[in-house]
Amino acid sequence: MLDVSRVQKELAECNKDKAISGVSINLHGGDDLSHLEGTISGPVGTPYEGGTFRIDVRLPSGYPFEPPKMQFVTKVWHPNISSQNGAICLDILKDQWSPALTLKTALLSLQALLSAPEPDDPQDAVVAQQYLQNHPTFVATAQYWTEAFAKRTSVGIEEKVQKLVEMGFPEALVKSTLDSVNGDENMALEKLCSS
Amino acid sequence: MKVKILQWHAVASWTWDAQDETCGICRMAFDGCCPDCKFPGDDCPLIWGACNHSFHLHCILKWVNSQTPQPHCPMCRREWQFKG
Repeated sequence: MLDVSRVQKELAECNKDKAISGVSINLHGGDDLSHLEGTISGPVGTPYEGGTFRIDVRLPSGYPFEPPKMQFVTKVWHPNISSQNGAICLDILKDQWSPALTLKTALLSLQALLSAPEPDDPQDAVVAQQYLQNHPTFVATAQYWTEAFAKRTSVGIEEKVQKLVEMGFPEALVKSTLDSVNGDENMALEKLCSS
Repeated sequence: MKVKILQWHAVASWTWDAQDETCGICRMAFDGCCPDCKFPGDDCPLIWGACNHSFHLHCILKWVNSQTPQPHCPMCRREWQFKG
């Protein structure tokens, strides 16, 4: 049986200092405590900086005696994470799990994994090979993937800009207006129409 | 002065002598009980490992029984042995 009270405590505890830790965890939707979604912010000084990575978290009924099942939802270019399906190669999520670990420490470990890839024990052979043999290309690709997939707000902004430009407003004006209203499309439109 | 005691109420409190406040497995207070028990105390005792880490007996047993061949302490990963 899933230890419900522990999971509830973990949720509260993990989110208490999410601004500092850079990791958070929430229900995936609905009230199913065994299906959660974690987020980690990309570590500073890595190609993942500035990105927010979503992680699908499923708790087996044996949790915390069995490890949580974690998988990246956000696409990420990393030697130990599958570029196809987000599967993660990390020992503590497998045979090195301990019930003294928590969802928060597991997410922090993923964050650490982003900082320190282990190309010699890869999940994605293509990425690992690139990491070892053509490091500059690896960094550029990882940065591009972060930009394209892990910065949802900036991607959203691009779409909003395009939409408003198609309505006939000049692009520079659209961008500055969107900036001034923190990306709120409707408020930007109102402002553009009244200016 | 002579005092004659007619009636008295004894009040005692108890606590487990553990280093931590909470069990590292279930995260419940040591002075409470594991998730499977209703009442703290002798029915849900603490147990120490050779490494001096303590857990609710019921919690560590679940962990030890799920680990083959050799269980490790959840806290320090040393081989788990019950402190004799």
